[in-house]
Amino acid sequence: MRKNLQYLLVLLLIITTSSVFAQQKYVTKSGTIDFEASVPSFEEVKAKNSTVSAILNAETGEFASLALIQGFRFKVALMEEHFNENYMESSKYPKAIVKGTLQDFDKNQLSETAQNYKFVGTISMHGESQPLETDISLSRNGTSLEVETSFILKPEDFNIKIPSIVSNKIAGEVTVTAIYALSEK
Amino acid sequence: MRKKTVFLIVALVLVGGAYIGYRYLYKDHRNIATELAVLDSTASGIQQRFTEGKGDEFLNKTVIVTGTVSQIEENSITLDEKVQCIFSTQMPSATEGSKITIKGRCIGYDDLFEIVKLDQSQLIN
Repeated sequence: MRKNLQYLLVLLLIITTSSVFAQQKYVTKSGTIDFEASVPSFEEVKAKNSTVSAILNAETGEFASLALIQGFRFKVALMEEHFNENYMESSKYPKAIVKGTLQDFDKNQLSETAQNYKFVGTISMHGESQPLETDISLSRNGTSLEVETSFILKPEDFNIKIPSIVSNKIAGEVTVTAIYALSEK
Repeated sequence: MRKKTVFLIVALVLVGGAYIGYRYLYKDHRNIATELAVLDSTASGIQQRFTEGKGDEFLNKTVIVTGTVSQIEENSITLDEKVQCIFSTQMPSATEGSKITIKGRCIGYDDLFEIVKLDQSQLIN
């Protein structure tokens, strides 16, 4: 009887310590990033990528996301071709990466009502890196974690040149929206 | 009479030019399903090409990959935890642990998960 109790205690100890030391992570391989650079009365310049990966380290608040440039789909095939070949040069620079930290993130404060965190980090694409600061909203939905953010990027900051012949049809400021449903790993 | 013919020819050229221009601007997306694959490999085979830095030649190319289903998500199937195949149309029915072959467009290598990603996938076997 006493031995059984001892076993139970040891078992309990193992379970509790292992859960303390396990790095709690939330991940997805199919997040969505939309961007729009439309100018009114011209053909819409808009694309969607639903194959974006993201990892959130719940212990430290570190967040990383990776989008493959080829994964952005446009309605107009020729626009997609130009985006890849002329602007993003996706064969040379195949990915866009965001890395950084959610400031004052505490996994114990996650709740079903959305909370805003400040994200501070960097964004790299087309061979250039820029600092990125934006608000990220987080909410718990069952076992998954809904993450949403939106920010504005300028093509010139990433050395993306837009020829003057089309520059009035593409907005100078590109609105980027990202949505992830992260599940615990 | 002569004026009329000239007018007709000019009109025809204009309409034809406009049609060709329109077809160029609004051409159809590629149809991955009917394209010939440049590579027929296992999931670990194509992933290895990328980890060795020799994978970029498959970017934007149609490939065929065979492997064991390791994960099924809402719109994707992962093979051997090495290749994620994303379906833009209907997801085929597959069971974890079964061996399948998928054709899709290779969109690149994801260092976060160390997987190769394919989109516009379709189950071929």
